[in-house]
Amino acid sequence: MVMTKSFGAWARRTAAVSVSVVLLAVGRDARAAAKLPARDQPPPPAVPSPARVNPREVPAAFSKPVPESMADLRAMEAHVKALVARVSPSVVAVEVGNSAGSGVVISGDGLVLTAGHVCGTPGRPVRFTFADGRRAQGVTMGVDRESDTGLMRITNRFNWPHAAVGDLSHARVGDWALALGHPGGFDLKRSLVVRLGRVIMLTEGALQTDCTISPGDSGGPLFDMFGRVVAIHSAISASTAENFHVPINQFYDDWDTLARGLLRRPDPTPPAKAYAGVTGETVDGHCRLIDVARNTPAARAGLKAGDVVLKVEGREIQAFSAFQRWISEADPGDALKVEVKRGDQQLSLVLQLAAPPATP
Amino acid sequence: MCRATPASLVASAIRSAGRSAWGLVAVAVGAGWAFAAAPDARGAVAPSGSKGIPALKRDYYTSGAATLRAFAPVSKAARNSIVKINLNGETVCLGTVVREDGLVLTKASELKAGTLTCWLASEHEVPAELISMDDEEDLALVRVQAEGLKPVEWAASEVFVGEWAITPGIADTPHGVGVISALPRRIRPQRAFLGIQFDFSSTAPRIEETMAGFGAEKAGFKSGDVITAINGAAMTSREQVMEALRDFRSGQAVDVQVRRGEETIGARVTMMAPGSEELRGRLAPTRPADRMQGEVSQRAEGFEQAIEHNTVLPPWLCGGPLMNLDGRAIGLNIARAGRVATYALPPSLVCRVLDRLESSLPPAPASH
Repeated sequence: MVMTKSFGAWARRTAAVSVSVVLLAVGRDARAAAKLPARDQPPPPAVPSPARVNPREVPAAFSKPVPESMADLRAMEAHVKALVARVSPSVVAVEVGNSAGSGVVISGDGLVLTAGHVCGTPGRPVRFTFADGRRAQGVTMGVDRESDTGLMRITNRFNWPHAAVGDLSHARVGDWALALGHPGGFDLKRSLVVRLGRVIMLTEGALQTDCTISPGDSGGPLFDMFGRVVAIHSAISASTAENFHVPINQFYDDWDTLARGLLRRPDPTPPAKAYAGVTGETVDGHCRLIDVARNTPAARAGLKAGDVVLKVEGREIQAFSAFQRWISEADPGDALKVEVKRGDQQLSLVLQLAAPPATP
Repeated sequence: MCRATPASLVASAIRSAGRSAWGLVAVAVGAGWAFAAAPDARGAVAPSGSKGIPALKRDYYTSGAATLRAFAPVSKAARNSIVKINLNGETVCLGTVVREDGLVLTKASELKAGTLTCWLASEHEVPAELISMDDEEDLALVRVQAEGLKPVEWAASEVFVGEWAITPGIADTPHGVGVISALPRRIRPQRAFLGIQFDFSSTAPRIEETMAGFGAEKAGFKSGDVITAINGAAMTSREQVMEALRDFRSGQAVDVQVRRGEETIGARVTMMAPGSEELRGRLAPTRPADRMQGEVSQRAEGFEQAIEHNTVLPPWLCGGPLMNLDGRAIGLNIARAGRVATYALPPSLVCRVLDRLESSLPPAPASH
């Protein structure tokens, strides 16, 4: 399962089709984050270790490309039924501020894996609701906003029902998976919602299944057929087959941040290589320049505020961001042929880029 | 239907989305990747674009063609218990055969005025006639001019979570499969409103504003009125009022009592649903998540009991039976309710409504 090193960056570069991705918490973040008193802070919990499994626990039907017979289907059904009963008690609905999501308890003392965007920030109070309606109190711990991992802790003392965690080193595309969670928030009359599906795609940073998930499911667990948590629900896109989960291994990688109750933000985007010296906006599908700074490549090329950039290197430009991308992906010294509209005039200019000015 | 979308997935999208104040955000990313071969011996994985990302072939998805073949024995045995109902030549729903003489139950709200015909497993198209409807559970009784139809056999046992839920049609393989996601429960009607805005400065159900054109305004309620009773039940908090109102459908009248200064005033108020033109956009803003729900049935709420399963079923394939591996009907698909849920009415409820509908039929062959 070796994938591209930086899938995110690659995807950003290859951005071609516009696809919406939606995160799955319900409601909005509360503004204020409660501070966790230092004396309440136990030592950071150790990174959980994946449970060992015996492949013979799982019916052979699950490792075929598709089930082949009624016997296969019956074996799968019996296994899933037992699995649901086994893992359900560990799944929780979580409420943080005004937003609702899901989570899964992974230790008897109440560590809860969830999605980063469900936590919001470290140190916020959380209300947990188990499938049977039992409630507990707790607090958000660490959050990684880049990978969307999050950790919470139940503060009531009890030996909480919990699930084993897995790892994805032997996981493959096509593996069957069970998604549990509380789409739309907790509903006692309905409680947990169970979905069976398959892994459609697996990369270092993301796992896609056809288990349909929906707002409120965020932070809920995806189980493998051994009943181990292998991912946490994170985001969806338009197709019902586009359900994205944060792989469990990402939690191990982020454990230091999560366990110590830290907030990690995404790395800032890398600085542009080349520089033109313009600011602009997108108006009705046109790139309009707002300002051209003095003594910059843009000024030297003759660009003026109010110009509408029509084409760069013969390619149509329909947004300021598109123009910006041409600039940031070029090297200092490169010349771009730019066609602009100024009033009724259409001009063809040559924009010779420079290195960005040094920041103090 | 679930369309083939260029795969999107994206860590970076997930990342940027995390910054939204609403926890919900639409991010423009994407990558059309073309699938090519991957090192997987099982043949189920095709894929990979320039970066070599393996992905499962669509046929191997849970409701993909290859997977559905395993369910063919169930589907084949059920073919003569199902009809495909056309309205003016266009398929609008499936129907569940409940009597040998051609009585079929289906989803009432999909049948609008027009000419009804049915496609049968025998590939014949035959005339059909709407006989009677049940608004409560959205069921309709249709008579199909056909022989050789076989009533479904209803399952005697209760469903369990994780049980295969199969939606057969008139073909050899089912339209889709899923599992039971949640046990039967009441599905409340679509939310309807009095047309008031509460004053949120206290927990008392005090009206801050009545909305123009709605029931509360028409009934003469005013800003400052405090609701004291709904249909005779005493109310002391906003939550209580909202909870009490959840049980009423659009168009139903509710007795509302308010306190205005020293006075107590009562009036009947007609509830309105957000579907009504005036309410659209005011109470139901479109959020990014709503766009992700996919196609849902027009009537997807307000059932006495419904089983929830995760089969991704287009609204025009509701009305048919939901089956288990034994080939017994464990329900009747009544609505596609959202991205994660399809509802089916349990056999006991379907049979009760069927009795109700049949007992209202005239003794002679029915006509309308």
